[in-house]
Amino acid sequence: MREACFAASGAPVGPVTLDVRPGERVARVYADAREATIAAMLAAGIVKAGSGSVLIDQYDPRVQSAHCKRIAAFVPHAALPLPDEAEFERYIAYRAALWDVDPMRAVARAKLLMERLEGVHEAFAYPLAGALVSGPKLLVLDRPQAAYARQIIAAIRPLAVFSTHLNAAAAQAFSAVAAAAAPA
Amino acid sequence: MTGRAFFAIVGARLRGDRRTLIYACASAAVVGFVQPRGLAGPVFFCSLLGIVIALVQNPGRYPHLDLCEQSAPLYGRELARAKALVPCIVATLATVAYCVAAEVAGLRDLAATFTIALAAVIPSTLTALSATIRTGTSQILYVVMACGVSAIAFALVVAAGSVPAELGFAALVSFFALRQYGEALARYDPV
Repeated sequence: MREACFAASGAPVGPVTLDVRPGERVARVYADAREATIAAMLAAGIVKAGSGSVLIDQYDPRVQSAHCKRIAAFVPHAALPLPDEAEFERYIAYRAALWDVDPMRAVARAKLLMERLEGVHEAFAYPLAGALVSGPKLLVLDRPQAAYARQIIAAIRPLAVFSTHLNAAAAQAFSAVAAAAAPA
Repeated sequence: MTGRAFFAIVGARLRGDRRTLIYACASAAVVGFVQPRGLAGPVFFCSLLGIVIALVQNPGRYPHLDLCEQSAPLYGRELARAKALVPCIVATLATVAYCVAAEVAGLRDLAATFTIALAAVIPSTLTALSATIRTGTSQILYVVMACGVSAIAFALVVAAGSVPAELGFAALVSFFALRQYGEALARYDPV
């Protein structure tokens, strides 16, 4: 992102300048939740920048949004409480259908990821497992729980990650774990 | 958009709206039983149900479904077609419930009543959908337009006495309403 600004509704956000290379993890602190969410959505190609430029693996979300959304996956801040295993499988199958991924493989991969996310509250692990169904290159985390930084980074290790935070301690938690987990 | 994605969106939203579906069909059945004769009942009541069902499809009702759909590699017009089918299915089933209940209570011409009512219900429902992603005056304008569509459809049948004219009007309005909803959805920012 280069000087990307969002001004479609409410107070303008930006300019945001950001560069995430393959395999890299970038954590940024924002002043409030709205700004953090908009920055994350800009990075995932869900909202379009009014000015400046955003490129997701050479694709511009303003004209090639479908391509961008195959590359970047967005994990919202809100938890997703699902009552049981069947509902989780239905959720994964739903996401697999949207991204045109084989549902059986998607469910198997999501269950494996849930095992790797042991210790993370299920309501926070479900959206992460769902986002990874499409096999993205970039994972965008909107204000993830700092307490689960170690498990999350370990589970998604080879991916490029951009995370937004509301305080330096949370960003530091992700950066420190990412640095420790980075291959030598 | 693949057929799988289309039916996944429709299925997920219908599952979420199953209570709305039951309430809509039950209320339509009661009114159909009470008011079995005439065209005003099925046309206006079922159109009103369609408008209300469309209006409750506003963003924020199912935030996780909204976010999944917005972050999925789909275009606005594709998403619009899938999302628009849900209130149309609910409104159609409510119209069926109305006509079946009216038939039990003494309605003579079930097929014609159903066709005429549905030709008013579908375009008014699709017109009202555009109100869900707008606010203020433009939202009210779309609701008024949706009510106007059912009134015009009724007038074409009763005053002009032409069912083909009503069907043609319904097809034209439905096409433009769906197109308008798709374009609005493509420009919509979920913030």
